[in-house]
Amino acid sequence: MEASSFSKRLLTFLGERWSAFFLVFMIFVFSLVAPNFFAVKNFSNILYFSTTYLLLAAGETFVIVSGGIDLSVGFVMGFVSVFSSTIMRDLYALGAPQSVCLLAGALVGLLLGLIPGLINGLLVARLRVPPFIATLGMYGIANGVALNLSKGFPITFLPPRAGEIGNSFLAYFFPGRGFTFLERPEGLGGDDLRLLVGILPTTVIVTGVVLLVFAFVLVRTGFGRHTFAIGGNMDAAIRAGIDVPGHLIRVYLISSFFASFAGVLYVFRAGIGNFTTMSASYELFAIAAVVIGGASLFGGKGGIGGTIIGVLILMTLENGLNITGLQAFYRYIATGVILIAAVVIDQLSPERETRSG
Amino acid sequence: MAEKVSAASNPGLSPFVLWTGRNWSFVFLVLELAVFGILGVRFLRLENLQNILVASTTILLLGVGETYVIISGGIDLSVGFVMGFGAVNCAKAMVLFQSQGVPDWMAILLGAAAALAIGLIPGLVNGTLVARLNVPPFLATFGMYGIAFGSSEIISKNTPISGLPALTGAIGNGYVLYWLPGKFLRLFSRPEGLAPLELRRLIPIIPNVVVISLIFVGIFAFILARTSFGRHTYAVGGSRDAALRAGINLRAHLTKTYILSSFFASLSGVIYVLKFVTGRADAGSARMLDAVVAVVIGGASLYGGTGTIRGTLIGALIIATLETGMVNLGIPSFNRYIAIGVILVIAVLIDQFFPELVRKGE
Repeated sequence: MEASSFSKRLLTFLGERWSAFFLVFMIFVFSLVAPNFFAVKNFSNILYFSTTYLLLAAGETFVIVSGGIDLSVGFVMGFVSVFSSTIMRDLYALGAPQSVCLLAGALVGLLLGLIPGLINGLLVARLRVPPFIATLGMYGIANGVALNLSKGFPITFLPPRAGEIGNSFLAYFFPGRGFTFLERPEGLGGDDLRLLVGILPTTVIVTGVVLLVFAFVLVRTGFGRHTFAIGGNMDAAIRAGIDVPGHLIRVYLISSFFASFAGVLYVFRAGIGNFTTMSASYELFAIAAVVIGGASLFGGKGGIGGTIIGVLILMTLENGLNITGLQAFYRYIATGVILIAAVVIDQLSPERETRSG
Repeated sequence: MAEKVSAASNPGLSPFVLWTGRNWSFVFLVLELAVFGILGVRFLRLENLQNILVASTTILLLGVGETYVIISGGIDLSVGFVMGFGAVNCAKAMVLFQSQGVPDWMAILLGAAAALAIGLIPGLVNGTLVARLNVPPFLATFGMYGIAFGSSEIISKNTPISGLPALTGAIGNGYVLYWLPGKFLRLFSRPEGLAPLELRRLIPIIPNVVVISLIFVGIFAFILARTSFGRHTYAVGGSRDAALRAGINLRAHLTKTYILSSFFASLSGVIYVLKFVTGRADAGSARMLDAVVAVVIGGASLYGGTGTIRGTLIGALIIATLETGMVNLGIPSFNRYIAIGVILVIAVLIDQFFPELVRKGE
């Protein structure tokens, strides 16, 4: 009796934290197999490329916790990336100072990016369209608008400051000369640059701050509690007096906001604006990350911390596959399998039975 | 008779409004053809109309499988990438058979058969997940969306597969009849040794791929409308409990529906190979949305229980006409994504708020 309850507790403990263990295990394996994997520079790289997925998945976490889903995030991101870079390019061409161009582009992009979320939210909350259909429609619309605006080509000739900011680091370490913050040490030649170590990309810090704020919102505020309540039991939430439609609209707005943020960040990182290709499958990776992080696709469960681990698992996998020389396309398969496995496990878990029964 | 009964049960709506509402997609298609016919250049010519038919085959094939799934109350988001999977498998198999010294026509046939057989696997997995493990359809097939794309990229090594038998393109881009007015009518093969002037006057009639597609579409339209398999599909989507009580093997039936959807996606991949003489992983990536929208335009409810192949055919034609018409008018074809997204949402809203227009009453 006692032993069984102990083993049950152990299983629950492992089950709830399997993703963290899995991440550690994966880092361990890749460190053994791939020679250059375990290095500060590589980890910094993984984080650098994770930012897009971290942002998309954080927004998706809110939607999934509320019991919905948002398939449009990848294309909303592309739409904002194209829009804000177009504004930057045009202002720059008119001779505006770089800072004005960048600020205006980023702000307008973030604002425009709220429109898809508002429409998704209205469709889901007020018109009761199933979330995956409403956001699938938006998937097409946002993609069409982005392609239309960009004519199918990347937006180039942006102010050069964009790329500089997006690829800067919080601190630089140059052996023998110590640290400098935010700016590279001056007067370094080509060979010296190779020795320069950048610590923590600025984009990672910005992403981290935004995630922290929203993790706080989800866990500690009434807004977060209501999100869980709606996803856990919609009827109870209504009886408890929560304005469910109003709340759901805000949830889809948050998801869209994160996607826009990812779009703007992309412009700074890449120094160009680009639409999202059909097979990029951002939405697949974002949703899989949220689910790996312990969220239930039936709503009411999930967290930003888990989602971050989910994203890191997927990105470490991609990075490790690349370094070991395997095709990175295995990650599509792995992600699909993990997504399905997570849903099956969620479906079979005893907790769910008690909840629905 | 059925018209009268339902008209009487909706006293607020005149029969004309009701008819238009129910057949809005057909009315829309006619209007679309008329508008593009007036604004476009040579839009209503036989050649262009045949191009529309060819363009619609991909959407139609994906749509037929999707129709079964949607009627059964599910959805299949993987069809676009399963189509790419089918295309890659088909091309790879053709190249393989050809290198073994098999004659061209045989290599093509075997390649297509191999792709169709392998293409049943994604459907089997989807069906098992949905029917036996109770995974919500859009999640199971969304996982498959990643798996199928990754697999095809790995099989094709991220490059389009080329070096196919020359006969492939001749079949895929050929026509059933070639007619030179006043001179001759030839079956299947384009007559050789024609003067340039004669070549220009040569009228090809009925593209081969349309015939191949319509054979399969016809068979499965018949199955849906006239056999017990079809009736069971409606029953499963209409009321799961009632279907269970009626003794339908729900799990087996749902599994078969997803296999069917996967089969049609693979078939669409085979047709892609015939048409473009290459196999690519992203052959159908943009087409998933088109397929779902074609089915929904065709009057199917995303809540299950309604839908017809005839409706899906009209839906596919509407999208293909839109695509071809936009190119004809010089409008960037990107706009079709916007149009299709909007149509999807509107169709679902109509279904939601005016069910009497959509539900045709079994």
